[in-house]
Amino acid sequence: MIADPGSARIWLILLVAQIREQPARFFATVAALALGVALGSSVYLVNTAALNEFGLATKRLVGEADIVIRGPREGFSETVFVDLARNPAVIASSPLLELEVAMAGRTDTLKVLGLDPFRAAVLQPAIIGEIGEGVFQLFSSDAIYLSSSAAQRLTLQRGDLLQVTVGSSSKALRVLGILSESTYPQPLAVMDIASAQWTFDLVGRLNRIDVRLSPGTDVEAFRRDLGTRLPAGVLAVAPQIERDRAITVTKAYRVNLNMLALVALFTGAFLVFSTQSLSVLRRRKSLALLRALGVTQGQLRRALLGEGLILGVIGSMLGVSLGALAAAGILKYLTADLGNGQLRTAGATLSAAPVQMLAFFFIGIIVAGIGAWAPARNAARQAPARALKGGDGNYETAARTSWRLGVVLMLFGAAMAWLPPVGGLPLFGYAAIAALLLGAVLLVPVITLRGLGLAPRTHRVVFDTAVSQLRENVALSALSLASIIVSFSLMVAMAIMIYSFRVSFDHWLVKLLPADMQLREPFGNDTAFWSAEQQTQLRTAPGVSRAEFRRTRQVLLDPARAPVTLIARGANDAQIAADLPLISAAAAPAAASASAWISEALQDLYGYKVGERMAIPLAGRMQQFEIAGVWRDYARLSGSIVISRPAYSAATGDNTANEGSIWLDPGTSVSTAEKSLRLRVGNGDALEITGSTTLRERALQSFDRAFVITYALEVIAVLIGLTGVSFAASSTALARRAEFGMLRHIGMLRGQIMGMLAQEGLLSSAFGVAYGLALGMALSLVLVYVVNRQSFNWSIDLAVPAWQLAALSAVLIAAAACTAIWSGRSALSQDAVRAVREDW
Amino acid sequence: MKQLLTLAAGMLSGWFLSLPVAAGNFEAVTAGSAIAFPKDYGSHPNFRTEWWYVTGWLRTAQGESLGFQITFFRSKPDIDEHNPSAFAPRQLLIAHCALSDPKRGRLWQDQRIRRAGFGLADASEKDTDVWIENWSLKHSTQSYAAKIDADEFSLDLSLSETQAVLLNGEGGFSRKGPEQRAASYYYSLPHIRVAGNISRGAAKSQVSGEAWFDHEWSSNYLDADAVGWDWIGINLDDGAALMAFQIRGLAGERRWAGGTLRSADGTIQLLQPAEVGFQAGRLWRSPRTGIAYPVEWSVRAGARQFQLKPLLDDQENDTRLSTGSIYWEGAVQALEDERSVGRGYLELTGYGQRLHLR
Amino acid sequence: MTEPVLRLKSLAKRYSKDRPAIFEGVDLELRQGEYLAIMGESGVGKSTLLNLLAGLDTPDHGQVLLEGIDLALLDDDATTLLRRRAVGFVFQAFHVLPYLSVEQNVALPLDLLGCPGPERGRRTREMLGAVGIDSLAKRHTRELSGGEVQRVAIARALVHRPRLVLADEPTGNLDTRSAAQILALLRAQVKENAGAGILITHSRTAADTADRILVLEARGLHPLEKP
Repeated sequence: MIADPGSARIWLILLVAQIREQPARFFATVAALALGVALGSSVYLVNTAALNEFGLATKRLVGEADIVIRGPREGFSETVFVDLARNPAVIASSPLLELEVAMAGRTDTLKVLGLDPFRAAVLQPAIIGEIGEGVFQLFSSDAIYLSSSAAQRLTLQRGDLLQVTVGSSSKALRVLGILSESTYPQPLAVMDIASAQWTFDLVGRLNRIDVRLSPGTDVEAFRRDLGTRLPAGVLAVAPQIERDRAITVTKAYRVNLNMLALVALFTGAFLVFSTQSLSVLRRRKSLALLRALGVTQGQLRRALLGEGLILGVIGSMLGVSLGALAAAGILKYLTADLGNGQLRTAGATLSAAPVQMLAFFFIGIIVAGIGAWAPARNAARQAPARALKGGDGNYETAARTSWRLGVVLMLFGAAMAWLPPVGGLPLFGYAAIAALLLGAVLLVPVITLRGLGLAPRTHRVVFDTAVSQLRENVALSALSLASIIVSFSLMVAMAIMIYSFRVSFDHWLVKLLPADMQLREPFGNDTAFWSAEQQTQLRTAPGVSRAEFRRTRQVLLDPARAPVTLIARGANDAQIAADLPLISAAAAPAAASASAWISEALQDLYGYKVGERMAIPLAGRMQQFEIAGVWRDYARLSGSIVISRPAYSAATGDNTANEGSIWLDPGTSVSTAEKSLRLRVGNGDALEITGSTTLRERALQSFDRAFVITYALEVIAVLIGLTGVSFAASSTALARRAEFGMLRHIGMLRGQIMGMLAQEGLLSSAFGVAYGLALGMALSLVLVYVVNRQSFNWSIDLAVPAWQLAALSAVLIAAAACTAIWSGRSALSQDAVRAVREDW
Repeated sequence: MKQLLTLAAGMLSGWFLSLPVAAGNFEAVTAGSAIAFPKDYGSHPNFRTEWWYVTGWLRTAQGESLGFQITFFRSKPDIDEHNPSAFAPRQLLIAHCALSDPKRGRLWQDQRIRRAGFGLADASEKDTDVWIENWSLKHSTQSYAAKIDADEFSLDLSLSETQAVLLNGEGGFSRKGPEQRAASYYYSLPHIRVAGNISRGAAKSQVSGEAWFDHEWSSNYLDADAVGWDWIGINLDDGAALMAFQIRGLAGERRWAGGTLRSADGTIQLLQPAEVGFQAGRLWRSPRTGIAYPVEWSVRAGARQFQLKPLLDDQENDTRLSTGSIYWEGAVQALEDERSVGRGYLELTGYGQRLHLR
Repeated sequence: MTEPVLRLKSLAKRYSKDRPAIFEGVDLELRQGEYLAIMGESGVGKSTLLNLLAGLDTPDHGQVLLEGIDLALLDDDATTLLRRRAVGFVFQAFHVLPYLSVEQNVALPLDLLGCPGPERGRRTREMLGAVGIDSLAKRHTRELSGGEVQRVAIARALVHRPRLVLADEPTGNLDTRSAAQILALLRAQVKENAGAGILITHSRTAADTADRILVLEARGLHPLEKP
């Protein structure tokens, strides 16, 4: 970088002078960079820790199997296992029942592994290593071992009883021991396979078999061949795919967080750019003097680039340390999933990632380098004679010619928004946002000129002077506005997206929760349900005018993807069509087969189309359904299918239900009805009963909570942007000290000069904010229709939070104007008078 | 596999040392009830524990001497009999196989444990026919077939009877302690002729040799005060056979002893506790566990006095990781007046436990 | 007898309390129509004196009476308003706003005084004509030569017909020929459009264009002793 001692000396002189002269600005720029790096590295570290933990937990769960066979909740016949165990290519096979078990008085579920410890030991040695001699006690039919995190969550100890819900009745299991965290980091329980079959009424059934093949067997060929011989809905999966698909589910979320970190870095780069540009402008004469004294272009360029890089080094160093601290704090005091429930595991620990941390360190430096490059080049290229004489730099001309590139970038960005996702990620969507942002920033000078051209001449000296000053220094204004435009437009875009999502989510909730109350067995549980008789009892409970029941369960359509939720609801197809928030529907109802309504995720991920037929594995057979429509489902990211209860019951013979909606008689209160409903089912206290209003409020609350971090980060980005405005304002104000001095000489009041500064600040910040607002709206279209859709596979309707944005804009304009005045004040001190003597 | 091995081995020895007094669910061993063949060759599922046990010496075609041991255990856990699940562990089957290899100075060993059921693992009640998947020991007319296909080694042996069944104790009722209840049903088949094939790693060998077969079942083998035993089964060169054991108590004292000495002509001498003496000789200290085992013994059986010398010192089974139990079981040579008179197996249990107590 | 445009009474100024005064005992009466030159060595406080006269700085002792008004009695805004109306400035470094046109620069004092549009245009044009740059009215000042810029500055200093014009080394940055022209112009314009003028300079040639010459010394203003 610094080639000869001369360069190094110049660099050092300039740098030290710069820091000494403007320590606040230097450290604020460092802080902005540090923030970006910290954000990026902490998000990365936390994510990595969560993923590692998740991967480890999954590995513990699946062990060292070559193939995992998985079936639906009710499983498949255990003869599948016997055949496999006899297969000479199979050297180890472990039969399991893996169930999400409902518990009395709790609304969460517990994953229970019913396993044969002797066979499981081959593939999951950790379990037996710990149970050891206790294995003989495990054979007793009510014995259960809890992982330490499960014991913690359920606050149970060795010897305590655990009440599980099977159907609608409760069974007591005895906690035989607690497995250490190293055996299973996740909350789960282990039982003997025989006890599990008996306890959960699944004698003769398994729903998982782990298989290890003899060395030299072609695993993939064996898996495919096995797949053809398994019952419908039972799939042979490579464990790696199981791990991957769980990680894939959370990928979009993680990428979004990383993008937020990139936004911070992007803003940081702009800040370095504007800071360096301004500082170079301010020092134009002294730099020209250096050139006149014999400093080469290259030396000067390197020295100025070096200034930017030192900002980067210090900022990155701070940022990486800050990021590691923040990550450690988050892991210690919050959960590792960053508010996303899908990665929830206990005890994720921070692991040192020196290579990645080094990468973040260099990213920070590179960002600073990029920001410092253009100003350094321009300053070095400047003709020294002209600069010494006090002529203007060539920034203006450079800025005026940049608009073509800006237009090209904008068009390019708009085009990229139409491209499909890459590997399930909206990479082109993000690229479009970056291109639009950059293009828009390049267009700032041109649009400022045009905009100020529209400003009327008032012959009010203060206003006219302000407008003229802005017009003249349009490049400078653009520089100072770039960071606020970038950060504000991103904030606007995010705010619109989140608001749109919230409005759509709320509409969806209202549509799906028409009844007065909702009741369900613990969400996602495999064991608790209501029989047909119990449904009748609930329906005829006092105060209940009407009740509808649903059966939800998981079906695996594709081993490479997460299971899909099947929802059986509604007495007939017409009712479903009326009750669901449909996006599109078939022209004519299904004639030949039963109808199914798929969620948008299913449409996007599996390519199903309305009017086509799809096969759903039910009761061990592939059953044909015709896709009658697509509905919006914000609850199930992996997709869901709705069929009517008669169709479900015809396919499976299953009349049970695990969710219901209750309409009340007029005058019956929710709490009265809740009591009578609980009395109606044997295991009433485990029932989750909620008034629909409460449910909706709760859903919206958790929605808002999920986006708190996002908002916080956005506010920080805007604050950084404001810092940029402040730098620019104070910088120009200092440069104009002599001008102010002259104006004071010829009789301009202090207040008038303040007014001029305020009007300049208001004009430019109003312009910046308006521009950011417009840009943000354009970006929000990309976020709503491209990034959101491609990340989450659901649509949301665009809604603009007008009041929120108006208030935000007003606050920001005021803040920016105040910043400008505050920064200019120093230029009005007593020595402003003396400044007229300075050569300027 | 390693964990499984330690697990199973741990269970094997852990068992004998911690068997509780027989509960109501198990059939008791009683004096005077006669052993009847062929039914008693088979499994006795109502007793808590049972084993079929083959130990012997092999000689490869190249003249290498090896010891081998194949054991199939059956155990009846104390579970709820009402569980309708086919997986319900009504019986557990455990197999243990070890090959003592003096040339390599090591023990090849592997173990398996399974619940009986689905035809994958079981023990027949009709005749000796016990298997865990492809490990099996099966009786047919006058001979047994033993197949062990372990990870590192394998045995495929044909075991031919050459002598009549030897009933230990009083008609097969073998007392194990001062209390009448501590007892087992126990018969042996000495001088089994062995022929077959083995493999160690990639090396395959044809082998022949002589073995000792035991079948024993009980619901209450050791009483609460016993910590282990020392046992021998020796095929004497002249066609005679000696089985002798002593049960040791918590303080290392002898709690009980017994044995059977059958001469070549078939005369059986039932050895009373006083007629059996185990005198420990040279100690070998395991470099892995630090436990000292008396690997040489002087054993008094009635009027005769035998010196026992091991085929190799290191025939230790280390199962400390799972249960803390470690035992020694290996091929030994029997000498009388400095002259080799026979070969057999020595089993030393409960030494690791004593270390533990220290 | 009319009130003098400017009267100074035993004025003294020091940089800080613990240092001796830069100058003290400065007395002066400047009458209507007078054009005075003040000379002095570098560092003697010429510019400081100028700032005191314009109310941009406050004396440590003595009084400044502009149009008979004691500046010490006025607050900052009142002083500024008085200065705006009554004083015109010409600086050595020109000090014109680079982002305004010649015309706009000259019109600034009229703008500040709230001069109505037509009047403003007329007087600006007249003034530009008077300093001989009416052809440059629409140009930006950065496109002009030094002499031209200083003409703009003189026009700006006189466009509102101030009672007092203060010129601080107005030719310091100009070549000899331009300087002579500017000095002549300044004298003519002060006589034409202002009440009185003070030219501060260290150049004897420049000072000779004034009606009389005073020398600023630490102990006050004294007439120049002709050699």
